[in-house]
Amino acid sequence: MSRSTTGTSIAALVRKAELRRERRLLAIAAPAITFVLVFFVLPIGLFLFRSVDNPEVHGSLPRTLTALHQWDRTTLPDEQAFAALVADLRALRGKPELAMLARRLNYDVSGFRSVIIRSGRLAEQGLPPYRKWLIANEPAWGDVTYWGAIRNEASPLTDFYLLAAFDLRRLSNGSIAPASNENALFRDLFARTFWISFTVTVLCLIVGFPVAAVIAHARPKVANLLLILVLLPFWSSLLVRATAWIVLLQDEGLINQALIALGLIARPIRLVFNRIGLTIAMTHVLLPFMILPLYSVLRGIPQGQMRAAASLGAKPVIAFLRVYLPQALPGIVAGSTLVFVISLGYYVAPALVGGPRDQMIGYFVAYFTNSTVNWGMASALGTLLLVIVALIYAALARTIGLERLRAQ
Amino acid sequence: MTCCHGWPARLAMTIALLAFTGPLAAQDSITVVSNGGSIADAQRTAFVVPFTKATGIRVVEDVFNQELAKIRTQVETKNIQWDVVSVTAINEATGCDEGLLEPVDWSRYLDAKQFEGVGGFGKCGVPHNFVSGGLAYDGDKIKDPPKSWADFWDVKKYPGKRGLLYRAEQTLEVALMADGVEPKDVMTILSGPGGVDRAFKKLAEIKPYVHWWKSGDESMQILLSGDVTMTYAWNGRVAAANKANNRNLKIAFAPGHVSGSQIYAIMKGTPKKELAIKYITFAAQPEPQAAFARAISYAPANEAAYKFMTDAEKATLPQGYLDRGSLQSGPVYFNFWLDKGDEVLQRFIKFAAQ
Repeated sequence: MSRSTTGTSIAALVRKAELRRERRLLAIAAPAITFVLVFFVLPIGLFLFRSVDNPEVHGSLPRTLTALHQWDRTTLPDEQAFAALVADLRALRGKPELAMLARRLNYDVSGFRSVIIRSGRLAEQGLPPYRKWLIANEPAWGDVTYWGAIRNEASPLTDFYLLAAFDLRRLSNGSIAPASNENALFRDLFARTFWISFTVTVLCLIVGFPVAAVIAHARPKVANLLLILVLLPFWSSLLVRATAWIVLLQDEGLINQALIALGLIARPIRLVFNRIGLTIAMTHVLLPFMILPLYSVLRGIPQGQMRAAASLGAKPVIAFLRVYLPQALPGIVAGSTLVFVISLGYYVAPALVGGPRDQMIGYFVAYFTNSTVNWGMASALGTLLLVIVALIYAALARTIGLERLRAQ
Repeated sequence: MTCCHGWPARLAMTIALLAFTGPLAAQDSITVVSNGGSIADAQRTAFVVPFTKATGIRVVEDVFNQELAKIRTQVETKNIQWDVVSVTAINEATGCDEGLLEPVDWSRYLDAKQFEGVGGFGKCGVPHNFVSGGLAYDGDKIKDPPKSWADFWDVKKYPGKRGLLYRAEQTLEVALMADGVEPKDVMTILSGPGGVDRAFKKLAEIKPYVHWWKSGDESMQILLSGDVTMTYAWNGRVAAANKANNRNLKIAFAPGHVSGSQIYAIMKGTPKKELAIKYITFAAQPEPQAAFARAISYAPANEAAYKFMTDAEKATLPQGYLDRGSLQSGPVYFNFWLDKGDEVLQRFIKFAAQ
């Protein structure tokens, strides 16, 4: 009896001590966790929210939206809707919201911006019946496309940007249709981004694996030297490295000049500002991300095993495939995942050494953020990329096991 | 100071003094805001220093990145910290429309004729600099200079690659010029029915030979290295590339150019409107204009400034060809690019990638 009491109390004490330890660890990590939450998770969350955020129409045209609630979306709205629109526009006069509304609706129907700006100016002088008056002064309002766009953007949350990221759009009757062929851009863009990332990952693996193996099994002195060589590029900026590739690869660059001097080619071949240049530059930049995880795994594979396999009669190829490679797999997966995921977000290298056929998602996220200030679109592309990366990670975790991934 | 002992009292006195002298001094100063960098440096030597010397009015400089939101916040909260802002033409038009900038009848202070070449005064402000995109080539390599954008499109007569801006705006204008449209009609044709299709059709002819550049640096790098035979380029870049590399790059404006102004405007509701007008009027005079153009290698907005510049300085400026420009101003230009800009650009990016 007394023994069991002591037993439970010891267990309780241990639990308590563990709890205290965990709490202390949490307290130590608290600044880091807070930092990550405040400066990383929160802003990213807010930015991702922009891909569905839709305050403009909802906030600026309340009367119009009420009037359009029962609208059939095929015939022109009635006088009541026109009167509501004029009232809303009058309320917006001279306010910055009018410009924001105009910009927002222009995403849906190009040309809507100036319709709104002009109507905002007109609204002051409007006289009933408003339907006849407004159409006479701004014929666009006689077209259901414009009314449909307002109705489509009625809700404070929208799927507009996410649909656009899939080259889809909503018609004025509310149904979803593919974007016009001339403007369908993003599916190709995603496919291209993935294809480039995949190519770079495979190349990094082909180039990086032997290097990692050599470093892993070299004498410590040699290994250290080789590791420094691998890490060296990390010490120079990405911009410098990309520019260096331009100097090397351009038509009058070193490589073309050397090939011409050797008589291998008569005229310079195009090596930069296209896919070749981009692939070379990205593989070079990302190689350390493949080599380092691989190296850490390969180092753990005992050399004796290969000799044992050989002594048991396995040919080198068989020994490699059946003894070495399975043990290297976690490193291959970790390195490939790292390189692939980093490649997906590449922006500087494609902009510098790629051509228009080689621009990736990152370029357009930056473009929509900085140049057109269409943050909804930038955010939608970012959200999509994030979801896809999460799916890839989940799939890998499922097939290979999270533990083995994390082990790296 | 016999009344006051110890540092707290002295501190209080100092603060009181500052509080009194602050507003007094501020009355004779204005705040001028630009993009910063080399533009701010040029502004200082050409406008600010001589202005203070001539009038005794102190100029405080500030920097902004063309965010209209920053102007809007000050105007709406009536907490005006800036007086004169240097804005792009499109921001001037928008800001003026939205009541963020002060409308001024500049013909009362300046000779409107001297600014006609760059498209005249803005609705609110005065152009103070003029950026042109023209046909650039290496004068040492091409002996028979291209005379038109049609020549630029002629890859038989001038073999080799071409550089064009990786952007719909400016590039579509150039394409229409190559298709025989007079520069002054380009925006009307482009915004009219079938205009965009026509421009894309013309671009498709030369597309296999085009290197699309994304920055001014890149446009010069490809021309200097000989990767392209000719390129569309901004004139200040050509001047800078010549200076830095001791080269003989040329830029032709006669084939037609795409040009736009940087504009000085006054913040709506500033109590220093008169001083601001004084500053802008000063900056718009021929001599400061010439000094600014010299410092930054882009053209003066005031045509009378050209006579203060040497032939070498004028080599990359559009003097004499101001009527050959498609201007990045006016309602046709703004409405087209603000309404259709996104759509056309998306089409352009897809077109370039095919």
